[in-house]
Formats: sequence, C-alpha cells, structure tokens
Amino acid sequence: MSSTAIRRTRRDPLEAPLKVAFPFWVIGSVLLVLFPLYLVFMVSFAPGSALFGERPQLVVTDFTFKWWQEAFKSAGLISPLIKSLVVASVTTLLAIVIAAPAAYVISRLRPAIRYTIVIGLLVTRMFPEFTIGISVATRFAELHPFGLNFLDSYIGLVLAHLIGSLPFIAWILVGTFETIPVDLEEAAQIDGASRFGTLIRVIFPVAAGGIAVASLFVWLYSWNEFLYARLLTTNQLTLPLKVFQAIDRGTTQGMATVAAILTLPILLMVYFLQRYLRPGALTGAVKG
Amino acid sequence: MATGDAATLTTAPAPRDRQGNGFVSWFSRFRFEIALISPLVIYVLILTVAPIIDTFRRSFASPTGGFGTLENYRFIFKSQRFRDATINTVVVALLSLTLEVGIGLAIALALHVKFRGRGFVRTVLLVPLGVPTIVSGAIMLLIFARSGYMNSVLALFANLLDRIPGIDINWVNVSWTAAGGWRTLLTYAIADMWKVLPVMTLIFLAGLQSIPSDVYEAADVDGATKWQRFTRVTMPLLVPYFTMALILRAIDAFRIFELALALGAQEPVLGTFIANRYLPPTNDQFTSAAASIVLFGIIMLFIALYLKFVARFQVQR
Repeated sequence: MSSTAIRRTRRDPLEAPLKVAFPFWVIGSVLLVLFPLYLVFMVSFAPGSALFGERPQLVVTDFTFKWWQEAFKSAGLISPLIKSLVVASVTTLLAIVIAAPAAYVISRLRPAIRYTIVIGLLVTRMFPEFTIGISVATRFAELHPFGLNFLDSYIGLVLAHLIGSLPFIAWILVGTFETIPVDLEEAAQIDGASRFGTLIRVIFPVAAGGIAVASLFVWLYSWNEFLYARLLTTNQLTLPLKVFQAIDRGTTQGMATVAAILTLPILLMVYFLQRYLRPGALTGAVKG
Repeated sequence: MATGDAATLTTAPAPRDRQGNGFVSWFSRFRFEIALISPLVIYVLILTVAPIIDTFRRSFASPTGGFGTLENYRFIFKSQRFRDATINTVVVALLSLTLEVGIGLAIALALHVKFRGRGFVRTVLLVPLGVPTIVSGAIMLLIFARSGYMNSVLALFANLLDRIPGIDINWVNVSWTAAGGWRTLLTYAIADMWKVLPVMTLIFLAGLQSIPSDVYEAADVDGATKWQRFTRVTMPLLVPYFTMALILRAIDAFRIFELALALGAQEPVLGTFIANRYLPPTNDQFTSAAASIVLFGIIMLFIALYLKFVARFQVQR
C-alpha cells in the first residue's frame, strides 16, 4: 500500500482529534435524532404529577397506561383515527389508479418530452399549498349549495391530498417504468395479449416493487398532512388536527399520547420497509 | 432505455396506423395512450393549474368585484404583522437550511466511516423519517418549555460556570416558545431541522457513496491531509447533492406553517399570516391570496439566487 506509506511520512494534524472525537460524534448523532422521539413516548406513559418539577424527568418512574386509555375513551380519538385511515388509504388507491397508467405512457415518450412533463409536474409542487388550497377551499364552499359537500367530508380531503400526491407518485413511477424494457411488451403482444392486458398482466406486476414504495410515500403524506385538512375542516378532525387540538388545549401527557398514536404506524412502516428507501425516492415524500 | 426516434411514442400500434391527416388521425392512432394519460392531465389541470391561476387572479381582485387592483398587496405590505412574518420566514428558512445541511452532512460523514455496529446505527437513525411535522412541533414544546429539557441543561451549565470565581450568572428559566424574538425563531428552525435530519442524512450518504475511491487514492498519493481531502475532494463532488437537498428543502422550509402554529405562533411566519387572513373570523380570500403569491415569489427568488451563485461551482465529471 503505497498510499498509506506516504500518509505515514506526513503527519496529519486531524488524525488524532478525529479518532478521539469519532465515538462522541456517532453517539451525539444518535441522541440528537432519537432523544426527541423517545421523549414523546416516555411522556405519554408518565404520571401527571411530577413531570416538570424542578428538573424534567428522563425516565418513567411510575409507568401508567392512563393517558392511552383516556385518549381512546374520552378524547374523541376514534373518529379522527378512522377519518385519517380512510382518507390516507383511499388517496393512495386513487393515486395509483390515476398515476400509474399515465406514468407508463410518459415513460414511453421521447426523452425530451418525458423530462418536460416530469419537470412540469414537479414545478406544481413549488407553489405554496396555500396558493392552491385557498382557491380549492373557496370553490368547494361554493359547491355546497348544489348538494356537493366537499368541506368537512372524506371525499373533499381525498381530492385535496391527491393534488400533492399525483405529481410525486407519477414522478417515481416514470422512473420505475423506464427500467422495464419495451421488448417485454412486444413479446406479450406477439403472444396475443391486448395492449391493456399487457399493461395489467405484464407491466404492472414487473413494476410492483416501485408501485409499493410509491404508495407507501403517498400514504405517509396523506396520514401526516395538516394544511389542506385545516382549510377543509370545521368539525370532523383528522388525526394531525387532533394533535394540534391537544397542543392547543390539552394536558402535556394528552398531547404526547395523541402525538405518539400518530407517529407509531409510521415508525413501524419505516422500520420494516427501510431497505426499499432510496434518497431519490424519498426527498419529495417527507415534507412540511 | 426505451427511446423512439421515429415515432413520438415507441409503442405506437403499427397495424392501426390509418393514413389520414390532422388531429383526428393523431387521436385515433394514440387513443390508447391518450386514454391512459387523460385522468392525470385532467386532474392536474382542474385541481392544480386552475386553482393556481384562480388564486393569482384573486390576489389582484377587489372584494367589491373589480379586477386589476393592487389594493390587496398594498394592504398587506402596509401591515406590520406581514412585514414581520416575511422577515421571520426568511430568517427561519435560512437558519433551518443551514442547520439541517450542516448536521445532516456531519451525520452522513460519520455513517460513511466503517465502524462496528454501523448497520444498526444507520437503521436507528432513519426510523424517525416521516415523523409528522405537527409531532415535531409537539416534541419541541416538551423540550423548549419553561421547565423543559433545554432549560434544564442550560441551567446545569450556568450553575457550573457560576462556581468559577469572578463569573456571576443568575440563570432564569424562560419559555423559549413564548418568549418571542430570536428564541422562538430558533425553536421553529430546530423543529424543522430535526424533522428532516433522516432525509438529509440519506441524501448526503448517497452523495458520499457516489464518490469513487480512486479520487481519494489520487489525493493520498499527492499527500493531501484529511482536511484537504474534505475541502478539495469531498465538498466539490457533493455540490449536486447540496443543490438537490437545498432546493427540495427550501421549498418546504419557506412554507413553514404547522410548526409555527404548534409552537404557539408567538412570532408570525407567512404560513400563519395567510391562514389567519383566510380562516374565520377574518375570512379574507383576497389578501390571503396576495400573501401566498408573495410567498411563492420568495421561494422562486431563493431558487434563482441559489442556481445563479452556488450551483455553478459544480464540478463537471
């Protein structure tokens, strides 16, 4: 190893300090990322009496399920939970049904046209959600006299969440379909498959992995979404709005419990699906 | 890669290729593709493009029905709260971008070194990815409360310093979120930073892994120190990843809303200003529309400035 030999002859002034600092660097990173998360779960199991005394506690001394039980019993959590679950799932389903066929067509276009469309879709995401949301919420309110109830309803929120999801899922899926060779379609068609049959029975199954990851991101986006939900809701809260309500007028432990309930499914999903997560696919999904 | 040069669509069905001219023949030739792509196009046109145009129009409309007036913009620019909100938004966004790029890069650099247990640390660090913004706000309320964890740590340091003769510190706990001023803005920025740390780490880790090892070997042969390797090899080759991370994050950072709301909105940002104008009891679609267009302008300005002054340092490989 000639390179190490050369390095030895010259003393690197950073070598020793880096060696000493490295373990602290790693431990510090882990603490910075995980301590806040630990905190929200810890507080949700802490008794109410001595949480913020002279010095805030770091571990639960009197473990209690009281706040979790109370959250599910009295705080009206079930209806927001169902609304968030249904809206996130329906949004994901519709996003795939609308975006997957379109993404397939886009992926088969000439590169110049393909990139123009993809960039065009991404540009829509540079606008503040308010710019879109103000008009959408006002128009939805105007539809109310015609018997279309889009405010405070599941369908209105699904429509709004599709605005944020569609460009993103189309972008990911175009990338997925690009990697599937055209030969595969031609082979299927020579075997007598219709074009639609080819799409359903050959292309989509091959792209299943990409479609699954993209749907996960759409589901997470809808599950976490706050702004459209705030604009389109007066009574029927979603889970993120419920967290805000708890922040606004709840106890510290009540707030931590609702926050933990909102976070738990996400942690489980990310943990189990981690090996599929690539930076390129991620950056658009986690937003605020 | 499917790249058709002759036809617009490589999957164009040859047998159905009728000889005709104009739109009708084009339509019948590509009706399958058109059927597949239409739902997406129609959705984006009706529920994204049209609302954007509508809000833009609304920002120049007057509540009494006129159009082409600057009344709404004049109103918000006169408002002290709007000016504060604009400055706060820019300060918080720049602060949180700096923090998350710096710390995200630091974590990625640590994870790029081979050490025992690296796989486990990587897994653990990525788990908070996708934590809801509102939850990040709730957590920061615990940390930055009057008798929260931040003050507890600071009080400890203050007490230690107080023991040194000649230094006299009398530490008083204040709630960071309620205090207003730089303290509150800092909590917004830290909440924003914490929420996206896993994503930033992932982006920079991908960047570090994309740098071929022979570049470092060449630097070693030339006798580069670790610092020189970092500043002259790693950093220039990471510029595309900085660009990607900063542009994607900047769009979100300027749009900060839930965090400020969760942390008490003691200092207004543009997001909370717009919401306050739009929602009851104000119910003003016109000034809120104007403010949202200003926010869009700020985002565009940031991206343009970044691309003009920073992205050109990109190394061509």
